[in-house]
Amino acid sequence: MFPTLVSTVFSVMTLAAPIDTTVPAERGQRLEANVFGGEIIVKTWARNAVRLQADPSSRTEVTISSVGSTIIVRSEGRRGPASAVDLNLTVPVWMALDLSGVYTDVTIDGVRASLEVETVQGDVEVTGGEGQVSLSSVQGSVTLRGAKGRIGVHSVNEDVRVMNTTGEIKAETVNGEIELEKVDATNLDANTVNGDVAYDGPIHDGGRYALSSHNGDITIGMTPTTNATVAVSTFSGDFESDFPVTIKNQKKGKRFDFTLGRGGAQVELESFQGTIRLVRPGTAASRQDHDNDDDRDTHP
Amino acid sequence: MDAELAASGDASAFERLYRTHVGRIHSLVRRMLNDQDPDEVAQDVFVRAWQKLGTFRGEAAFGTWLHRLAINVILGQRERLGIHRRRYHEDDAMLETVAGRRAPVEMTMDFEAAIELLPDGARQVFVLHDVEGYRHEEIADMLGLAAGTSKSQLHRARMTLRRHLDR
Amino acid sequence: MSDQWTERLSEYLDGELQDEERAGLDAHLRDCAECAAVLADLKRVAIRARALTDREPAADLWPGIAADIGATTPSTGVPAARRGGHPGRQWSFTMPELAAAGIALMVLSGGAAWWLHPSARTNVGVAAKPPAPAIVAPASSRTRPRGYDGAVSDLERVLAEGRGRLDTATVRVLERNLAAIDSAIAQAQRAVAADSANVYLNSHLADTRRRKLELLRQAANLVTAVS
Repeated sequence: MFPTLVSTVFSVMTLAAPIDTTVPAERGQRLEANVFGGEIIVKTWARNAVRLQADPSSRTEVTISSVGSTIIVRSEGRRGPASAVDLNLTVPVWMALDLSGVYTDVTIDGVRASLEVETVQGDVEVTGGEGQVSLSSVQGSVTLRGAKGRIGVHSVNEDVRVMNTTGEIKAETVNGEIELEKVDATNLDANTVNGDVAYDGPIHDGGRYALSSHNGDITIGMTPTTNATVAVSTFSGDFESDFPVTIKNQKKGKRFDFTLGRGGAQVELESFQGTIRLVRPGTAASRQDHDNDDDRDTHP
Repeated sequence: MDAELAASGDASAFERLYRTHVGRIHSLVRRMLNDQDPDEVAQDVFVRAWQKLGTFRGEAAFGTWLHRLAINVILGQRERLGIHRRRYHEDDAMLETVAGRRAPVEMTMDFEAAIELLPDGARQVFVLHDVEGYRHEEIADMLGLAAGTSKSQLHRARMTLRRHLDR
Repeated sequence: MSDQWTERLSEYLDGELQDEERAGLDAHLRDCAECAAVLADLKRVAIRARALTDREPAADLWPGIAADIGATTPSTGVPAARRGGHPGRQWSFTMPELAAAGIALMVLSGGAAWWLHPSARTNVGVAAKPPAPAIVAPASSRTRPRGYDGAVSDLERVLAEGRGRLDTATVRVLERNLAAIDSAIAQAQRAVAADSANVYLNSHLADTRRRKLELLRQAANLVTAVS
């Protein structure tokens, strides 16, 4: 049922299962959704409205409300802890999202607005995102495709993957790999402790690209004509390159710099004990897989 | 750090460690072994931990080390009682006895109670995988199974427990 | 009930099927409401398992343990002689040392930590880093710098006191990853000890310690969010 279009403000609606309700949305409104456990799945459509579909158990209550410029969807246990519920949301393409949960997987497809996603035990998979995009999981993996803007992707225990994305990117995990494929970063900060980092994308003049790991390998796609000043640092690792480089400033221990092209970008490649390698553009992913013999202990 | 102090013989520090970790260890014991006194086994775990503290290097978190030690003690208990691999054979008849309509009781107890009624093999794989977060390869190693057996036991446990979820 | 599909549902849920099998089951699930319902149930079971909380035993087991280990009563006992105890912390960064490595850490009470970056890092042959914005601390905190060690122990205490509120799998993940970072820190410390003027090693050590602090802060936030 549509509330009257005169006002899009509505008080808390508690919905009876199975839920299929659509509420109008005004341009500029954002959506906040939180479920303790389950899935939040977001798709888009051309209407200025939010459709919510869910089938909660009898012990769980799902509410939707509009507070100022925010539409809020929540799940709560009627008595005691909430049980898992999957929320299927269809939202306008322009709607900014703030999604969170604990045992919650989050999937978003097609939104072209800012996104904030936070979960503890759950995977985050996003296609879309524009502006400020921040995705974070503790236990699960984070995958982002097709985003544009200022990007932050964080996991703790799993991999972080970013593809077909443009902008300033920060990617971090502790026990996982960072894969950046067909990514056009103007600035990049990718670091992990136990895992490899791979970047294959344009390197812009004036940009800073910092890739680092403690245990893992660093792989970056570059050519002799890429304009970059490259600083390589490792303690006990190795350096490999698909093409010869002229090393200058060799410092004590395994650290050195070299310049490619006009040296416009600043590239820092650091691995405490892994291999740092420059590869032909377009091959970073396959080179990383090829040398990844699963000798990394991902579950100590 | 209490672990360092305890390793050098400080019993008060060890008591603090006990207080911090006993809930988790006791719950693990209770869920893994349903035919023994969990208090006794939990006590064994801490005594063994005290004895082995000299080998705790402090590079890993104490809780993780203690947890692993607890699993070893628990699995040692299984062997002592002669619990053998035959428990892991397909045993639908036993699984069916756990079925039944859910009584309207508080959810936490009900689900835990259902876990404790599972047959040993399915229960231990379920606890190690879904509760404690180990992978099948690790569980297979710990319990002396093939990874495939671990996966099928997990599936059976979940299929049984789904009847004890609220609706 | 299509048994051949149902039997694979747990593996499907756990992401353990090969691509072809997964695609086959994907397709089947689109058509089979019954299997989809079973899958939803299995997921609920797995989630419910992860959310189990730990309970302490009804009885206090400590007296029995104390007797077994031959400890004297806790309040009056004198610790036994050291048996090759740990050497203790061999390396700790004072703030002047951190500043020399080009990074300063301002720590506020309550365990929150903010980094202030200098405007340039002096690394020969590499262009200066663009200045990062200084992050301002909330006015309500007392601004008494306590150093990295203080922040870590504050946060470790929050985590130790509150870990019972987190489910066991999350605790394991956090502990594993803190252990991984601790191991990296130890390796970096040894390397710096052998080559203390090495700017990369110093900054790598500082970065790894920062990662530990961040993870501890994240863990502490989880604990307080659940309380």
